[in-house]
Amino acid sequence: MKRYILSLFICTLLLTGCRENMPVIDCLTCEDGPDGPDEQVRKVLIEEFTGVRCVNCPQGSAQIEVLLEQYGEQLIPISIHAGFFSNPYTDSQYNFKTPEGDDIIGFLGEPQGYPSAVINRKKFSGQESLQLPQSAWAGLIPQELDIEPIINVELENTYDSATRSLTVKVGLTPIDDIEDDLRISIMVLENDIIDLQLTPDSSTPDPEYKHKHVLRDMLTDSSGDDITEDLTASTTIEKEFTFTIPDEWVATNCSTVAFVHRADNMEVLQADEAGLAE
Amino acid sequence: MKRIILLYTSLLFLLFCQGLYAQEDGNERKVATISGNLETNGNFFVEDSLVGAAGTPQYDHQLYGADAWLQLNYNYMGFDVGLRFDLFNNSNLLNPQDSYSAQGIGRWYIKKKINKLGISGGYLYDQIGSGIIFRAFEQRPLLIDNALYGVRLTYDLTEDWQLKAFTGRQKQQFDLYGSTIRGFSADGFITGGEESNWTLAPGFGVVGRTIDDDMMNRIVNTIESYDIADSIGAKYNTFAFSAYNTLTAGKFTWYVEGAYKTAEQYNNPFAEQANGTIGKLEFNPGSVLYSSLSYAQKGLGITVEGKRTENFTFRTNPFVVLNRGMINFLPPMARVNTYRLTARYNAATQELGEQAVQLDIKYSPSRKLGFNVNFSNITDLNNDLLYREIYTEVTYKYKRKWQLLGGLQLQTYNQEIFEVKPEAPLVETIIPYVEFLYKFDRKKSLRTEFQYLLTEQDLGSWAFGLLEYSVAPNWSFTISDMVTTDSEQFFKTVEKNGRVLPVDVNRSMPLHFYSLSAVYSYKSNRFSLCWCRQPEGIVCTGGICRYEPAFNGVKFNVNSTF
Repeated sequence: MKRYILSLFICTLLLTGCRENMPVIDCLTCEDGPDGPDEQVRKVLIEEFTGVRCVNCPQGSAQIEVLLEQYGEQLIPISIHAGFFSNPYTDSQYNFKTPEGDDIIGFLGEPQGYPSAVINRKKFSGQESLQLPQSAWAGLIPQELDIEPIINVELENTYDSATRSLTVKVGLTPIDDIEDDLRISIMVLENDIIDLQLTPDSSTPDPEYKHKHVLRDMLTDSSGDDITEDLTASTTIEKEFTFTIPDEWVATNCSTVAFVHRADNMEVLQADEAGLAE
Repeated sequence: MKRIILLYTSLLFLLFCQGLYAQEDGNERKVATISGNLETNGNFFVEDSLVGAAGTPQYDHQLYGADAWLQLNYNYMGFDVGLRFDLFNNSNLLNPQDSYSAQGIGRWYIKKKINKLGISGGYLYDQIGSGIIFRAFEQRPLLIDNALYGVRLTYDLTEDWQLKAFTGRQKQQFDLYGSTIRGFSADGFITGGEESNWTLAPGFGVVGRTIDDDMMNRIVNTIESYDIADSIGAKYNTFAFSAYNTLTAGKFTWYVEGAYKTAEQYNNPFAEQANGTIGKLEFNPGSVLYSSLSYAQKGLGITVEGKRTENFTFRTNPFVVLNRGMINFLPPMARVNTYRLTARYNAATQELGEQAVQLDIKYSPSRKLGFNVNFSNITDLNNDLLYREIYTEVTYKYKRKWQLLGGLQLQTYNQEIFEVKPEAPLVETIIPYVEFLYKFDRKKSLRTEFQYLLTEQDLGSWAFGLLEYSVAPNWSFTISDMVTTDSEQFFKTVEKNGRVLPVDVNRSMPLHFYSLSAVYSYKSNRFSLCWCRQPEGIVCTGGICRYEPAFNGVKFNVNSTF
C-alpha cells in the first residue's frame, strides 16, 4: 500500500511540476500610450456588429471607446448595424441598417453572441470564426499592431459644405511588390448620432443614447473593389471617389475609412481614417 | 495531407490485409470484427418570419443543411481501431445563427491492452471522477466534441486499483486548441470481504493545462489594457485536483467529490472594470464540492444531492465562450425533463458560482402505482435565486392494457442570468401534464400527451398536445401541436427581442407550432421524417445549454448500426 501511495505522490508531483516563471505584465493605462502615427504606422480595423435592440451591445461599444483611448488613431472602429438585433424601433429616428452591412455580416459570419466584433477580418487561432467575443478584443489588437504594414494607405477627403459633395482620394503604396489579389473598401461613417438603443439599464430603449462610428454607406462594393493595377514597390496608385452627404447626416461628425484587404480570405492589411475637412 | 493519406493507408491495411475472418493465432482463436454506425440529419429550411424561422443563411438562400457522423470500429488481436468521418453542410449546429460547412476525419483512435498496460492514442473520450476536473466528451445536438487528441496509458496495479495518465490537446472542430492538457488519476475498489455489505470506490485525479505562447500574449495584452486597479497576474500552468469516493453500505450509496483549481486567469463576463466597462479577466483559485446520497429498497428510492461551485470555469483558454473549449463538466443539479413544456426552461450549470440542492423521491407501493417527487433549488453564491423546481408525477398502470401518467411542475427561472437578458423578470411557471398510453394489442398502441405551461413572463403561456400511434416493431406516427395561449404576450416579447413582425399579423391569434412525423425502424436502422415547426428556446444537454432559434421545415434523420 505504501508503494501505491508513494507512486501516487510521485505522479502528482511530476504532473504539477516546478514553479513557473510568470509572464511580465505592464500597464498600458499607466503610460502615455503608444506614439502617434508620424508616418505610416500599422492601423487595426475593428468592425463591431451591433443593433439598436441588442441589450448587451452598449457594453461592447463602451469597451471600444476605452481601447480607442489607449491606441488612438491606430485603432479604427466601425459599428455595423446588422443581424438579429438591428431592426429599428418604430420610434427610431434613423435606420442604421444598410444593405452593405447586411452583405458584410453575410460574408464575415453571424456572431454566436453579442457583443461581437471582427478584427482585421482575420481568423485567429483558438477562435472558431472571424467573430470575436468582447473578452478577446483587447488581447488581439496589440498583436495586430506589431505586424508591419505591407502597403501604405493614405486617405484625403475634400468636402464642400455648400453642395455637401465629398471627394475621397486614396493613395496606395506597396512597400514591396505584391503579387496577391487585393481589394479596397471605402466606408462612410457618422459619429455621435442620438437615437434609441436598448441598454442593460432599462427594459425600454434609451432615447438619448449616442451611437458611435456608425457605418452609413460604402463608396465601393460591400466586398470591396478589385485593385487591378500592378502593385509595385514604392509606386503609388491613386483612386478617387465622390459622394454626396445626405441632408439628414451631420457632415462634421462624418468620416471615411479606407482599407486594403486580401481578395481570398478578406484579411485587412492596412487601413486609414480621415474626417471631413473643407 | 500526407498524414491523412498515411492514416487511411494504415487503416486499410489493418482492415483488409489482416483479414476479416476467423484466424488462428497460436492456440488462441482470434476473430476480427468490424462494426460501425451512422447518424445523419438532413434539414430542409422553409422560411416563416411569423415564427422567427428567418434571417439565417439557411432560410435566406441555402435552403438545405446536413450533418453526418460515420463511425467504423475494427477489433483484431486485442487491437481496437476506430475511424469517424464527420460532415457538416450548411449546418446550424456550431452557431445556430450562422452556417458551417466542413468535412473530414472527425476522430480516429487505436487502443491495445498489453497485460496490465493499456495504450490508447488518437482522439480520446474519457473522464476523471464525475468529470469535475476533466471530461472529454461528445454531445452532437450541441456540436460539442471535446475529444483529447493525445495518448493515454492505463496500468492495473491490482484487480481493484488502476492508474491512468494522459496528455494531449483538445479538439476544435477539425483543428486543435493550442493549450496542452495532461492528467493522472488513480481509481480503486475496496470491499469489506465476502461477509460485509459495504464497498468503497475511492479515486484521486489531477489535471494540468498549459497555455500556449500565442494565447498567453493575448492574455497579457488584455490585462495590460486594464486600469491598474483591475490588473492581475497570469499563469501558463493551472492544475485542478479532485478526490472522490463512492461508499456503498447496504441500501445506501454515498458519493462525494471535492475539487480545487489553482489560481488562473478566467473571464468573468459580469465583472465591472474600474473604467465602467463590463467583463474582465480575473485571477482566482476555484473549488467545487459535490455529494449525493441515495437510499434504495424495493419500491422506494431517495436521492439527495448538493453542490457548491466557486470560480470553477476550466477551459483551454479564457477567451472561448458558451460551450467551447471546456476541459471539465459540472454535473447539473436540476431534473432532466423530457416533456416538451416541462423541458422548456432549463437551468444551465453556472461555472462561476452556484449553490444547489436536489431531492428526488420515487415510491411504488404496488406494481400498478408509482409516485415521483423532485425538488431542486439553485442559487448564486449570494443566495440570489437562479432556479427552483418542484416536480410531481403519479403513474398508474392497468394490467398491460393502459397506463396513465400525470403531475404538476412548478418552476422559477432566472432568465436574466441564464439567458443574459438584463432586467428580465424571474419566469414563474405552473405546468400540469398528463400522458395516456393505450395498447390495442401486443403490437398497436396509442400514446397521448397534454401539457399546459402557465406563465405571465417571457413568451407567455403555451399548450401542447400529442398523438402517437405505434405499430411495433417498425412504425410510429406522431402528430403534435404547441400553441400560444397568450399571443399578445408572445408577440410583445418576440418584438422586444428584435424580431420584425409582418405588418398584418393578428396579435391575438393563437400561433401553432405543429409537427407531423413518421418513424420507421428495421432491425438496427431507424429512419425518421418530420415536418416540424418549433419555437425558439434554450436547448440543454446535461446542464450545458444554448439558444436555439425557431425552426420551420422538414427534418430527415437516419440512424444505423452495423
